[in-house]
Amino acid sequence: MRRFYLPTLLLMLLGLASGQTSQSYINAELQRLIQAGGQNYANVLLKQAPDQALCSIHRNKLPAEVLGPFIEEQRKSIKYPADGKLLGDWKQGEPIFNTLARGNCFSCHVGSPLNIGGNVGPSLEKYGQRGTSEAIQKYTYEVIYNTWAYFPCTVMYRFGHGGLLKPEEITHVVAYLLDPASDFNTKPALKR
Amino acid sequence: MGRFWRLVGAAVLALFSLVVLAQEEDDPVKEAEKQKKQLLEQSGGILPSDLYVEQGEQLFKTKRGPKNASLEACDFGRGPGKLEGVVGRLPRYFFDTRKVEDLDSRIRSCMIRLQGFQPQEIKRSDVVSIAFYIASLSNEQPVAVRPLMPQEKKLYQLGEQLFYLRAGPRDMGCATCHVSYVGKRAGVLPYSDILKDKRAASHWPAFRYSNDQAWTMADRIRACYSNLSMPAPDFYSEPIIALTLFMNVQASGAQMDLPGFIR
Ligand code: HEC
Ligand code: HEC
Repeated sequence: MRRFYLPTLLLMLLGLASGQTSQSYINAELQRLIQAGGQNYANVLLKQAPDQALCSIHRNKLPAEVLGPFIEEQRKSIKYPADGKLLGDWKQGEPIFNTLARGNCFSCHVGSPLNIGGNVGPSLEKYGQRGTSEAIQKYTYEVIYNTWAYFPCTVMYRFGHGGLLKPEEITHVVAYLLDPASDFNTKPALKR
Repeated sequence: MGRFWRLVGAAVLALFSLVVLAQEEDDPVKEAEKQKKQLLEQSGGILPSDLYVEQGEQLFKTKRGPKNASLEACDFGRGPGKLEGVVGRLPRYFFDTRKVEDLDSRIRSCMIRLQGFQPQEIKRSDVVSIAFYIASLSNEQPVAVRPLMPQEKKLYQLGEQLFYLRAGPRDMGCATCHVSYVGKRAGVLPYSDILKDKRAASHWPAFRYSNDQAWTMADRIRACYSNLSMPAPDFYSEPIIALTLFMNVQASGAQMDLPGFIR
């Protein structure tokens, strides 16, 4: 019990500091149930963050009055690479996009010339046709860094926010999608 | 075991010829039916799951453990030794253990109480085989799980909460895939609709012909956690029972297809 106490307290203080009253989803009974699943299981589930709690409470459909502040919080969490460059090296982005244990992007999106894409997310086929303007670079980077800033509670992981990809790695994925020379844009996408 | 591998060979052959000759069905249930029919034809009427059923029956009826007893006196909810249709009524509350138990945990409880096994002595593969045997006696029976006891109502409610819970570095939660994105594919199989499609929970335990594995619902739930790199709840633990209870209530009214045969 003590192990969970400190992080919870810290989260609460953080919530207060940012003027948020964070609602928790996990009550005492649910906590007991989760703990019965074993230490490793409980360690991860009981660390539920306030934004994850909101998605759980509202069953992934946030009501209008929650939506605004929620998106604002998500946007605030986005960190950019030190040099400010959002378009990295597409060749380094390719394995990230196409590896299950890294980006796993192909599992949910059509567009890769290397893997048959899934249809959980929208097709990204020839994504580069959107151009390489600063706005589209920024949008693409931010969607990958924190998807919930644009699609609250969606199934796509918040790659930067969740610590799954570093900012530099995200810039490589952005380049894989946007660079006109990228195989993603020059070769045909594999489809079912 | 020789027969088992011959059967596996038949399964692989069947799969291969299907890939070559026929377009894979889009509906995974229809596809599995097709595979099953073909396997039955090639193996002369025997499915790999029959092997687990056979093994399970032996384990169930043989006197084993420190108490040298069989499991024939085990009460799965319809009285000691009454096995027909019991899978469709689990999880439920049992007065002897004072717990809500699912098929796996009830088998384990009986191995402990009747046969005298220590919990750590119980082999997972034995529990799975016994689950397949009991499942074979519930085939084509209805799912009828209705939480009536306070303990069942409480666990159902917790199972529902757990189903919608998001957590972990990938914001994992059952409902994201199985409610918000049903029918979509991130691999070969589409996300099934656990709230509305009664088939989703009514064919467990099941044999998975794509990788020759015998799975109970607990294995399925644990795999859904592991697929998102989450630690899975322990076997026989309450989170698994709570989720199973929640899902089996959604499946109530379905006719069970047991042991299941799925991709
Ligand atoms: C688990 C499935 C899943 C994974 C994995 C995933 N995405 Fe997504 N992605 C989605 C969904 C779903 C949406 C749409 C969000 C919505 O509508 O809720 C989306 C949206 C997007 C968008 C915005 C689409 C547009 O048309 O503006 C981009 C870009 C994107 N994803 C890129 C990626 C990249 C790059 C990766 C890998 C680093 C990735 N996704 C991994 C499911 C996924
Ligand atoms: C990332 C998406 C995802 C998440 C999250 C997820 N599952 Fe699954 N689940 C799948 C896939 C893919 C399958 C295999 C295809 C299918 O049958 O839906 C599956 C299968 C199942 C099945 C068998 C359905 C059938 O028709 O045979 C059950 C039951 C199930 N999951 C329960 C759960 C539970 C409970 C959770 C939460 C602990 C969960 N899933 C979380 C993707 C997911």
